[in-house]
Amino acid sequence: MSTMLLEPREFRLLDGLRLNPRKSFGGKVRGERLTKKKGISIEFADFREYAEGDDLRHLDWNVLARLDSPVMRTYRDEEDLALYVLLDGSASMGFGSPTKFEAAARLACAIGYIGLNGGDAVLPRILGRREPNPTTLRGRASYPRLAGWATQPRDIDLAKNGLAASLRAFASTGARVGVAVLLSDGLDPDAAAAVRILGGRGHEVLFLQILSDVELDPDLEGDLRLLDSETGKATEITANSYAIKEYRRRLQEHNQSVVEAVRRVGGRYGLVRPDQPMEDVLQNVLKREGWVK
Amino acid sequence: MSIQNPGILAWLIPLAGVILLLYLLKMKRRDLRVPATFLWPERVEEIRANALFQKLRPSWLLFLQLLALLLVVVALAKPQTQQKGLAGEVTVFVIDASAGMSATDVQPSRFEEAKRIVLQEIRSAKPTDRIAVIEAGPTPRVITSLSTDPAREAQTLEGLQPTDAEAEIGEAMRLAAALVGSIDGARIVLLSDGEFGKIDNFSRGKAAVVYRSIGERDDNLAVSALGATETPKGRQVFCGIKNHGSNPMGGTLSLYADGKVLDSVHTPEIAGNGQWGLTVAAPAGARVFEAKLDAPDFLKCDNYAVAVVDPNLALHVLLVTKGNLFLERALSLDPRVTLDEASEVPATELGTEGAGRYDVVVFDGIPEQPVKARGVLTFGAAGPASPVTAVRSVTKPKFVSANKKLLLDSVDLQSVFIDKQESVSLKPAGEAIAQSSAGPLVVTAQDQRRRQIYVAFEPLESDFPLQVGFPIFIANALDFLTGGTSSGTLAVKVGQPFTLPITGDAKLTGPDGETTPLKSTGAALTIREIRRVGRYILQAEGKKQTIYATLRSDTASTIRPVKNLDLGGGNVKASQSPTRYADFWRPLALLGLFVLGAEWWLFARKS
Repeated sequence: MSTMLLEPREFRLLDGLRLNPRKSFGGKVRGERLTKKKGISIEFADFREYAEGDDLRHLDWNVLARLDSPVMRTYRDEEDLALYVLLDGSASMGFGSPTKFEAAARLACAIGYIGLNGGDAVLPRILGRREPNPTTLRGRASYPRLAGWATQPRDIDLAKNGLAASLRAFASTGARVGVAVLLSDGLDPDAAAAVRILGGRGHEVLFLQILSDVELDPDLEGDLRLLDSETGKATEITANSYAIKEYRRRLQEHNQSVVEAVRRVGGRYGLVRPDQPMEDVLQNVLKREGWVK
Repeated sequence: MSIQNPGILAWLIPLAGVILLLYLLKMKRRDLRVPATFLWPERVEEIRANALFQKLRPSWLLFLQLLALLLVVVALAKPQTQQKGLAGEVTVFVIDASAGMSATDVQPSRFEEAKRIVLQEIRSAKPTDRIAVIEAGPTPRVITSLSTDPAREAQTLEGLQPTDAEAEIGEAMRLAAALVGSIDGARIVLLSDGEFGKIDNFSRGKAAVVYRSIGERDDNLAVSALGATETPKGRQVFCGIKNHGSNPMGGTLSLYADGKVLDSVHTPEIAGNGQWGLTVAAPAGARVFEAKLDAPDFLKCDNYAVAVVDPNLALHVLLVTKGNLFLERALSLDPRVTLDEASEVPATELGTEGAGRYDVVVFDGIPEQPVKARGVLTFGAAGPASPVTAVRSVTKPKFVSANKKLLLDSVDLQSVFIDKQESVSLKPAGEAIAQSSAGPLVVTAQDQRRRQIYVAFEPLESDFPLQVGFPIFIANALDFLTGGTSSGTLAVKVGQPFTLPITGDAKLTGPDGETTPLKSTGAALTIREIRRVGRYILQAEGKKQTIYATLRSDTASTIRPVKNLDLGGGNVKASQSPTRYADFWRPLALLGLFVLGAEWWLFARKS
C-alpha cells in the first residue's frame, strides 16, 4: 500500500460522493454547505419586512408593486462543514489482521477525501494519545497531508488514554460543531456514555465500529489469564463453552448500548471488519445508510 | 442403624483432605493479551492445578466430589437398618404341613395362618429379597426355589394344601440349610406348631433360624387304638380314645364293621392326657372295622381309625440277618408288613408246633431253622428245614432257565449277576422254579401248614438288590408265603409311600372324590399321593382295591404349641416379629455413582 493509503481505484469510487449530514452546521468560511444562517446563496429561504439599510438588490419588486409594501427576499447562506475525523488510536486498535487501526486509518482517509472533495473543513483527530492536532484541511489538494497524518508512525501499544476518556476530552474542547466521524472498535465500557456526551455537544456522530475476528469470534481454549491491552488488568478465565457464550452475549449487549447511544443523539452507526474491502464498506454501509450520497 | 465395617469411615477424613488439597493447588494460567477484558466473565473453573497454593474457593465440583466420596465410604462401611419382619435378604420359609397344622384353633387353620404369614412376608419383601418356600410334609419338597418373583411365589403358595400325615421337619430343615446355609445373613424361618420329633444332624451353617410358633390351644381327642382279637368270648373289637389336650373332653364314638354301625356311645369326659377304651363284640366274618369320633376338638383327622383283620392284610415279618438294608427296605415297601429285625431267631419262634408271633421269617445268609411261622424265605443258606440240601458252594454261576410261575412274575433273573451260590440238591417236597449252571436257583415247597422259598444265593453276593425286580420278587414272595395274592383291601399309614406290584397305570380316588392318575414304572406302582386320612379306591388293571389311610400318631395328635425348639444344637425361641438387619449400601453406592456421573458431566462441561 502506498503512502496515499487508498488505491487509485478507490479514489475513483470516492470521487463524486458527498457527505450527507442530517443537520446543518454553521461554518467559518464560505463553503458549499447550506446553513441555517441567511446569506447570499441562490437558495431562497423566506420573506421579511424591509429594514433600513437592507441591500435593495434583495427587495422583492413584484410584491412592492402589487402590495405597495417593501418586502425583502432572504437566502440561505452557504458555509463550509466541519468534518471531524476521529481515529481511535487506543491500544485495543492494534488487534486483527490487518489491524483495526490500519483499517480505521484507511477509512479515515476515504471519508476525509470525500469531505475534502465536498469543500468541507476536514479536521483529523487522533484519540487515545497526545499528539498535536493537524490544521484544518480544505480542498482535494490537502489529501496528502491527511494521508500523511493517517500513516504517521505510531506505537499503538503506547496509547495513554482509552476511547471514552479521549472522546470526553474532545467534546470538552469547545470546537465548533460539525460532523464527527468516529472510527473505533468501541471497546470501552464507557463508550456509549462518551458518544452521548459527544452528541450532546451538537456534533452529528457517525460511528463506524471496526471489530476484528479476535473480538467477534474469539478462538480461545483452556485456562487463561487475560491481560487488557489498555488497562493491563488481568482477568482469569476458563475458556469453556460457557465463557465464550457469555462473552458473546456481553459483546452484543455492549454494541447494542453503543448503537442506541448513537441513535439517541441522532447519529448513524455501522459495523465493519478490518479486512472488509473498501467497495463493500462504501456500498453496504456508507451509501446504504445514507452517510454519503 | 448399625455399621458393619466402621473402620472404613476412618478413611473419610484423609481422602476428603486429599481432595481439598487438590483444590488448594493453584492453576497456572497462560497469559493472553486481548483488546479488552471487561466483556469476559470473571469466572474461573479450578478443574486442574499445577502450582502451589491458593485460597480455597467454593466449587460445585469440590462439593460433588466430597459428596461422592462420602457416599462411597459410607456404602463401603456397609450400614444396616433394623427392621421388624420374618424375612431377610435371603429367606427360606419352611411351612409345617403335618396333620397338627390342620388344627382349627387358629381360624381357618394353623396351616392357612402359616400361608397367610408367608404370603404377607412375600408381598412386603423388597425387590432384591430372595425367598424360597419348602413344604415340610411327609416328603419335604421345595415349592419355590430362591427367587425374587413374589407374584409366582404367591401363586404357588396359594395352591398349597396341608396333609394328615406326620411331617419330616428335620429333613425339611436340612433341605433349607442346603439351600441357604452357605449364604451370609440368610434366614430359615420355620412356621410350625413345634410338635415333631427331635431333629438330629441339622446344621444351619451361616443361616439364622427363626421359629414362628403357630397355634393357641391344645384341645384334641384322638382314636389312639383300634383292633380286633380272638378271645375266649369270641371276637372282640377294642377302641381306645386319648385326650391329647390339657382340658377334660368327651365325644361320641361310632364303631363300624364292614361299613355297618356296630356301636355308638358317648364317651365320658376324659381328663387331660387321659385315655378311655371300649370293647365290643365283633360280628363274625367282618374284616374292616372303622372308628369315628365326633368331638369338639380342633383336629379332626385323628378322629378316624380303621383296622383290617384279614390275616393277609397285616403281616408280621421277622428278618434274621447280619444287616441288609436292601432287603429291609424291600420288605418295608409292602404296605401289609410290620417288620422286625434280629440276628437270630427268638427261642419262642423256634419249633414247628403252635402259633408264632410272626407270619413270615426271612433268613438272610443265616441257615434256615424250623420256625412256627407259616412262611419262610431263605437266602443262600439252606438248613435242616429247607426243601433242599446244600452240597457245595459255586462261584459265578450262569442263569439257565426259570418257570413262569407267579413268584417270578415281572422278575428277570437272567440279568442278575451272582458272585456265589449254594449248589443244592432238591428234597422231595422241593420244586425248582429257576435253574442256574450250579443247579436249582429258586426252590419252593408247600404243605398244609407252611410254605417255603429257598433262594440259592445271598442278595448281597449279587446285584439282585439293585435290580428293579428285587422288590417285586419280595412282594411276590410274601404273596406266595401267605397263601395268595393280596386281597382287595389295604390299611396304610397316611403320608407313607408304598409300592404295589402293578404294571399298568392306575387311578386313585380320594375321600373327597378327587381322582389322581398314577403312573407305573412298568413293574411296580409307587403311591405317594395318600396325604389325607380316609378311604381311597385304587383302580388298576381292571380291578378296584380299597385303601384305608389312618393317622394314629401321638406326635401328630398332640397339638400343644411349642414355644422353644431344640434345633441343630441350639435352642430356638418362638418369635412373633424378629428383628432383621437390612443392608442399604446398594442405594448409597448407586447414589454415589450417580453423583460421580454428575461430577463428570460438570467437569466435561466446564473443560
